[in-house]
Amino acid sequence: MAYHSQFANSKFRLGNMALLPIRTRFKGPAPTETSTENEDIIDEALKYFRANIFFRNYDIKHDADRTLIYLTLYITECLRRLQKCQSRNQAQKELSSLAISTFPMPGDPEFPLNGMFVKPSHDEVERMKEYLQQLRQECSERMLDRVIDPATDKPSKWWLCFVRRRFMDKSLLNIGQL
Amino acid sequence: MTGRLPAVVIDNGTGYTKLGYATNNEPQFIIPSAIAVRERPGGVRVGQAGEDLDFYIGDEAFSAKGYSVKYPIRHGIVEDWDLMEKYWEQCLFKYLRCDPEPPLNTPENREYTAEIMFELFNVPGLYIALQATLALYASWIASDVKNMLTGLVIDSGDGVTHVVPVAEGYLIGSSIKHIPISGRDITYFVQTLLREREPTIPPEQSLETAKAIKERYCYVCPDIAREFSKYDEDPRKNYLKYTGINSVTKHPFSVDVGHERFMGPEIFFQPEFSNPEYNTSLSKLVDDTIQDCPIDVRRKLYSNIVLSGGSTMFKGFDKRLKRDVQRLVDLRLKESEEISKHKPDPIDVKVVAHAMQRYAVWFGGSLAASTSSFYEVCHTKLEYEEKGPSICRYNPVFTLV
Repeated sequence: MAYHSQFANSKFRLGNMALLPIRTRFKGPAPTETSTENEDIIDEALKYFRANIFFRNYDIKHDADRTLIYLTLYITECLRRLQKCQSRNQAQKELSSLAISTFPMPGDPEFPLNGMFVKPSHDEVERMKEYLQQLRQECSERMLDRVIDPATDKPSKWWLCFVRRRFMDKSLLNIGQL
Repeated sequence: MTGRLPAVVIDNGTGYTKLGYATNNEPQFIIPSAIAVRERPGGVRVGQAGEDLDFYIGDEAFSAKGYSVKYPIRHGIVEDWDLMEKYWEQCLFKYLRCDPEPPLNTPENREYTAEIMFELFNVPGLYIALQATLALYASWIASDVKNMLTGLVIDSGDGVTHVVPVAEGYLIGSSIKHIPISGRDITYFVQTLLREREPTIPPEQSLETAKAIKERYCYVCPDIAREFSKYDEDPRKNYLKYTGINSVTKHPFSVDVGHERFMGPEIFFQPEFSNPEYNTSLSKLVDDTIQDCPIDVRRKLYSNIVLSGGSTMFKGFDKRLKRDVQRLVDLRLKESEEISKHKPDPIDVKVVAHAMQRYAVWFGGSLAASTSSFYEVCHTKLEYEEKGPSICRYNPVFTLV
C-alpha cells in the first residue's frame, strides 16, 4: 500500500486540493505552521517520496493526498534540474527559478492530473496559483538540504537515482518538454 | 534400513537441482538446472553417433565453449524431456528412489518420469512425492507441532512461487495459487535499481552482481518509508559496499549497496514495483488461498504456514508475512463480529521458518526416504513391468513415524 497524508481532516481547500498550513518564509495563502516539531505536508512528501515513487497505483483518500501527489511530482522535477548541478549554489539558483517559472494549473489543458484535480472556481484561481507557487518555493528550499551532500557539495546519488521513475506514471512536464 | 543402499533424493528446481542421499541433512550437490548441448547452426539438435554423450550439466554447462546452454525446466515444470533425460543421466549413477514433483504436474509427466527411471536407469523402485508434502515433513524440525500433515506451503524458488494448501497429506488441488514473483524477478529488480545509480558495474556483469547482492545483503523490512528514514539516520550501518572483479580487465570494482537491500524482496508484498500487470501481494494471496479451502481446515492452515525454497530465506520474511496475514484475518473477524454481534475465536497466524528452508523439499525427501515405511509405498520395478507406467499416477501418502 502506498503512503497517504496524515492530514485527512483539512479545514480549507482550493478546488479539491487541501490548503494546509506549512512552515515557510515565503509569502502565500497557506496558514503558517509555527511549531517546528510538527510535520507539515512538505515534510511528509519528502519523507514518503522515495517509497511512493515506486507505486503505479494510488487511491486518493482525501484532499490532502492531492497536495501530496502534486508535491511528489514536483520533487521529481527538482531532481531533473539537480542532475546537472555541480554545487549547492548552482542547485539553489536552479531550484528557485524552477519554483517561480510558469507552471500549468488544474484545469489547464497542459496540466497532467486533470483526471484527479478539479478546475478551481473563478474566484479561487489566483489563490490556487499563489498556493502552488508557495509550495514549490518551500519544497525547493528543503530539497537543497535533503539532496545536496555537504561532504561533496554535489547532489547525492541516493536521490538522483529516482529521477527516471514516474509516480503513478505521471509527470508535471509533458514528455516533449524534457 | 540395513542391507539397503540409501535412496537418492533429487529435487529439480527451475534454477537449481538439489541432489543427495537420503538420511543426510544437506544435499551433496546443488547445481544449476542447466544443460549445455552442441547445436548445428539453424538450431537442429545433432543426432550423430557418440554425440549424445557430448554435453555438460550444472556449473560445467556455463564454462563449456561452443555449446548452447538450455534450461529443461520452466516455471517448475519439465518442458524438454529429451534434455531432462540427459540431465538425469549425468545426475545419476546408482539407485534412484525418490523424486519430488511440483504442484500442477500432469499425470502424463509422472509416467514419463517412470519410463525414464525404470527403463533407462533400471532403478529398483520409484516414489514420486509432492514438493509441498515434503516441505511439510521438513518443517517438523522447527515446529512444536509434530506430524502435522495439514499446512499451507509457500514454495518460492528462482522461477515460480506457489501457495499450496495440504490437508492430511493431500493437496487441495483446486485451491493452489501462484504469483509471478520469484527469485529471478527480485534479481531483475535489484539490477534495475543498481543500473539507475551505479555506473561502475560492467554491463555484462550486472546480472551476476545483482544476484550476489540479493543473496548476500537483501532482507524484508516492516515498512519501507520508515526504512528509508532509518538509512538517513544511520548511514554507516545501513549502506554497504560490494566488491566484484571485472571479468575482462581483472580489476576490482566497487559498488555501493543501499535501499535495494529491502526494496528487492519487497516485490513479494508490492508486486506492482516490478510487474505492472500484477498487483496482489503474497500475503493477500495466502489469505485468499486459505479462504478458498474447505472451512474445516482453514484454522489449521493459518496456524501452520510453512516456508520452502531459496527465495523465502530473506531475513524478516516470516515476520512480515505473519504480520500482514494476521492483519487481514483480524480485519475479517472484526467485520464478521460487527455483522453477527458475536465474538469469534481469534485466529493465531503462525509462519514456520527453519534452518533447512533452502533445501526444504530435498530435506523432506531425505527424511521420508530414510524411513522404513517409504519402501512399502515405493513403486517397484516388478510392479512397473507388470502394470506399466500408469502406476506412478498414484502415490500413497504415509506418515513418517
